[in-house]
Amino acid sequence: MNRPGRELACESVSLAYTDGARTTYALRDVTLALPPGNFYGIMGPSGSGKSSLLYILSGLKMPTQGQARFGDFIYNQRRSSDVAGVRRERFGFVFQQPFLLSYLTALENIVVAAPKADRAAYEKGRELLNGFGMEGLENKLPSQLSGGEKQRVSVVRAMINDPDILFADEPTAALDHTNGRLVVDTLAAWRVRGSVVVVTHDPEMLTGADEIINLRDGRLEK
Amino acid sequence: MPMGFVIVLSVFLIATISTLANSIDRTIFTIYGYTNHFTYVIPQRVTQTVPNDQLAIIRGDARVDRIMEASIFFTNIKTVIGSLPFVVLGLAQENEDYLLKRVGTTLKEGRMPAEGMPEAALSEPLARNKHIKLGDLVAGPTDEGGISGAPVPVKCVGILTGPVWIAVTSKSFCDNVFLAAPRCTIYTTKNPDDLMTVNQLFSPAKHRQDGKLSPAKVQVLSRQNLIAQVRDSLSTMFLIMAVVNFTVIFVIALMSGMLANIYFTQRLAEFAVLAAIGYQRWQLIARIVGETLLLTLIGWVAGALATFAFLSAFKESLFEPRGLFINPLDLFAYQYTLPIPLAITIFAVATIAYRLLLFDPVSIIERR
Repeated sequence: MNRPGRELACESVSLAYTDGARTTYALRDVTLALPPGNFYGIMGPSGSGKSSLLYILSGLKMPTQGQARFGDFIYNQRRSSDVAGVRRERFGFVFQQPFLLSYLTALENIVVAAPKADRAAYEKGRELLNGFGMEGLENKLPSQLSGGEKQRVSVVRAMINDPDILFADEPTAALDHTNGRLVVDTLAAWRVRGSVVVVTHDPEMLTGADEIINLRDGRLEK
Repeated sequence: MPMGFVIVLSVFLIATISTLANSIDRTIFTIYGYTNHFTYVIPQRVTQTVPNDQLAIIRGDARVDRIMEASIFFTNIKTVIGSLPFVVLGLAQENEDYLLKRVGTTLKEGRMPAEGMPEAALSEPLARNKHIKLGDLVAGPTDEGGISGAPVPVKCVGILTGPVWIAVTSKSFCDNVFLAAPRCTIYTTKNPDDLMTVNQLFSPAKHRQDGKLSPAKVQVLSRQNLIAQVRDSLSTMFLIMAVVNFTVIFVIALMSGMLANIYFTQRLAEFAVLAAIGYQRWQLIARIVGETLLLTLIGWVAGALATFAFLSAFKESLFEPRGLFINPLDLFAYQYTLPIPLAITIFAVATIAYRLLLFDPVSIIERR
């Protein structure tokens, strides 16, 4: 497989859901390109298609029309296992909930996302945790961590494979303002190593963004 | 946890039942273990003694060591399948000495039965089974059931020790008291290892006139006949057990599979996030297979250990006094439980793998 390029883009993308005779569009004719090395914010009111756009850009969902690509790697022209491989090796994900595995420690939860769970991965996970001020938490179970700590562990999990793109879907929604700010600052710092795409409805969280994409009713807002 | 507990209980249940069922023939072979050392031949009802032509056949084999006439009576013993008659051999002194030596048995306590007296000596496990000690009655007029009992009370005067169950009295006592009882013939072989071959040669075969013992004239109580009778009478029970076992395994596999699915549903978010961050479906399925295999393996080992501990703990205190000779390490019984972890793993993995192949991780992440 050729190593894909680094630009994230979608062209004339629509995502429709059909319920009987009724068709609802989550996205309609969206075209955009996100060059690497920037912090992108996707904003819009509830139901505007923010999360859908993030899932399309990351290959988690396939558009019903148009195409999304990472460099020259066009998702809907590839097998789902190849797309999963790109997500595993080139992308990192942070969701609204941390989704940590309850029976694993913080460090083990991080290493779960590493391409190979070897000694180097554990070492790297430990370094990242320490780098984000979470020394001493590596052996704690998720039940022993606060909400903010859990989400920061999930951010570190997203970074363990040195992703080209970090995708974050409402990463601060379940956090207080201080913890939310901390998580967004951590994500924003990644732009020196790759792109960061954050979906949020809170404009305050995107004050440092290089570009903000606004959506309304599934369309890009000019 | 509940699934592991179900596996432990089911392995315990099936291994215990199988061990107990297997103990039935083990019990019979233990009680009648003397058939490994000698064979006795009883005349059919037509004559009181083994007919001369039949004796001639036995004498005619050069491998036969000694042929002894014995007068017998029976005493009841307890077994898992109820009371069974156990033969008390009335032998001439010389033959008694010979036979006890042949079966490796010696007097441990008391004395040997006196000539013509209503006395008997029993081996230790036999005395334990009947709950009798020196001076107690071995058989008497009030004994119940079929062929067991004696017209006069027969006392235990000696306890024997050795590897086989055996009971002896004097021949003269039997001859004087059991007037109409058949006299049987006991034979041994010079080389004890030849006994089975000689038994095979002598065993009466219907519709065959080739010089072997005739079933119309004698019954041969040999090791082979004992095994054949036991296997025949237990075959139906083993069939029932196999059906019960299959049903239990099926139900448990179904139940555990459903438990595994409930457990999987509780962990859907975990699998969704793993799929989202790039785990392939086969990796998720491999994870489930690994976890299920580990759980069933631990459950099986724990169940097998629990069975072994239970059977070992109660072997001597509970089972043996009731005439049930169990082997707590009965490998056949443990083999019988192997389909449990296999069935559970296959059922659980198949259903979960199907769900994993169909599920949409995004819809699960979005729901939260």
